[in-house]
Amino acid sequence: MIEFERIEKSFGRVQAVREVTFTARDGAVTGLLGPNGAGKTTSLRILSGLMKPDAGAVRVDGVDAVADPLGAQARMGMLPDSHGLYPRLTPREHIRYFGELHGLKGKELEQRVDGLISALSLDAVAGRRVDGFSHGERTKVALARALVHRPGNVVLDEPTNGLDVMSTRAVRDLIRRLREEGRCVLFSSHIMQEVSALCDSIIVIAHGRVVAEGTSEELREKTGKTTLEDAFVSLVGLEEERTL
Amino acid sequence: MMLTRLGAVLRKEMLDGIRDRRSLVSLLISALVGPLLVTFLFSRIAERQRSADEVSVPVVGMEHAPAFVDWLKQQSGVEVVAGPADAENAVRERNADLVVVIDKEFSEKFSRSIPAPVRMISDGTRDSARPKVRRVRALLQRYSAEIATLRLISHGVSPAVANPLKLDDIEVSSSQQRAATILGFIPMFIIMAAFVGGLQIATDSTAGERERASFEPLLLNPVPRVSLVVGKWLAASTFAVAAVLFSAVLCFFAIQRVPLHDMGARFRIGPPELLSILAVTIPMAFLASALQMTIATFARSYKEAQSYLGMLMLLPTLPGAMAPIYPLTNQPWLAPIPIMGQYSLVSDVLGGKMPPVYLFVVAAVATVATAMLLIAFTTRLFQRERIIFGR
Repeated sequence: MIEFERIEKSFGRVQAVREVTFTARDGAVTGLLGPNGAGKTTSLRILSGLMKPDAGAVRVDGVDAVADPLGAQARMGMLPDSHGLYPRLTPREHIRYFGELHGLKGKELEQRVDGLISALSLDAVAGRRVDGFSHGERTKVALARALVHRPGNVVLDEPTNGLDVMSTRAVRDLIRRLREEGRCVLFSSHIMQEVSALCDSIIVIAHGRVVAEGTSEELREKTGKTTLEDAFVSLVGLEEERTL
Repeated sequence: MMLTRLGAVLRKEMLDGIRDRRSLVSLLISALVGPLLVTFLFSRIAERQRSADEVSVPVVGMEHAPAFVDWLKQQSGVEVVAGPADAENAVRERNADLVVVIDKEFSEKFSRSIPAPVRMISDGTRDSARPKVRRVRALLQRYSAEIATLRLISHGVSPAVANPLKLDDIEVSSSQQRAATILGFIPMFIIMAAFVGGLQIATDSTAGERERASFEPLLLNPVPRVSLVVGKWLAASTFAVAAVLFSAVLCFFAIQRVPLHDMGARFRIGPPELLSILAVTIPMAFLASALQMTIATFARSYKEAQSYLGMLMLLPTLPGAMAPIYPLTNQPWLAPIPIMGQYSLVSDVLGGKMPPVYLFVVAAVATVATAMLLIAFTTRLFQRERIIFGR
């Protein structure tokens, strides 16, 4: 379970996050929806413990990510906005390295590595250096290394960004599987169909504030629109007027 | 435990480094340049020195002073040959290193005890001819002194009267130390190896990690930042130490092969000297890597890091540039100053003046302490949002 409580963050005079409060439950997929610059990535960076909020608290399974970032990180697998790889290492070595950094070793580690390689269908390239991999293959490797410690909470920042159809489907399947396993999945996106199809709960963020929360139907009902996209535009637009 | 999972970071960076052609090439070059240059330069110098010992002297006008020429011929290692007709031009055109010209009034003036004119023609700008010129001048002066002694005796005067001073040339520097001034650039090469050997890993694991956007994912792992920094530091240092080891050991073998006795050096660099040099320079490898990591972490981009680190490479050459003006040998107070201390201690060891053990300890402690301070600072940098997200 991931809880955001009145998070605020400014960069100089720009207030990137004004007030973000929401909860992502276990066994559910929570979508973070918002236009570019709404504060999604900043919120997730605060969750990761790499950025300190100006105010508020973030908790992962009850562990404060600000006070105990390592404890929160151990309970969380994250695919950040930028997820570069090491060109001279193979997918297997990438996953193993992150496993070791989580304190895994020996047979257990090797089993997890093998499991992830077959789950993400990386078998054919597992022993090859990642230099020259396609965008889809790179994303899969980055995903695999983020999941090696079997985290109860999975956070994905725009995971399908720039992926082709096949890779996008693989990522969506993975998200569903994680939910079935009872994990808490939080992911950000600005692709409406994806959010609508996958999410049990949608958090709409605009101008650093949570402007609406609920299922796709609830958001449509609330705004009186027929599609999620129209509902989203109307919600974001309202916030824009308020800010101006 | 503060340094948890350090081993995983170290192993990964070593593997990455070994697969990186650039880091292997820089390791190789830094290890080889010194020894190769030492071998080359010393064989050249020794060759030149030998050519001064066995000197052939072109003489013009031999017929004017047959006794003098005979005396010259009797000196060991001296061969007298007929000089070129246009002596000055021959020296100017570099056909001869020097020419001795005996004036046709020589025998007449000589027999009347008037200073007999002898000209020695040489080119002062030619370094290679200098030992030979010095040798021939000494020969001429000795002949002059011998004749003077004989003349005084024939006049019934004690030669002692004509020598108010009894000059004894006492050279304080041992012959080993004299050779050490020539060997002065070996410490620079070994310290350079410390700076080049780990450079690629130090840059790639910090600025490079940010450049390819793998830094943020790495920091998402529940590992204390200090473990990450120390792991990367030890990987870079391992390469730097390897470069120092190769460079020092190869320099050692190069010196063994160089005909140093031809240079007038009673030279002896044995395993104790080699071990002392390593004891001085290995801590330097750790400092060099720490310094490079700090700079590369602080830089905004890989390019920026490279240009800063390029400037940093001037640092190990500084003492070498200073040495001719301000000798760094036998200066114990330099020991705690990184780089200067190493340079000074290695010069002393090569000069055959083994410094006391405590100076080695002082130098090592000061160097490693400086490295640890830099590592602590880099750990702080690893926490900064500007560094992590490039703001």
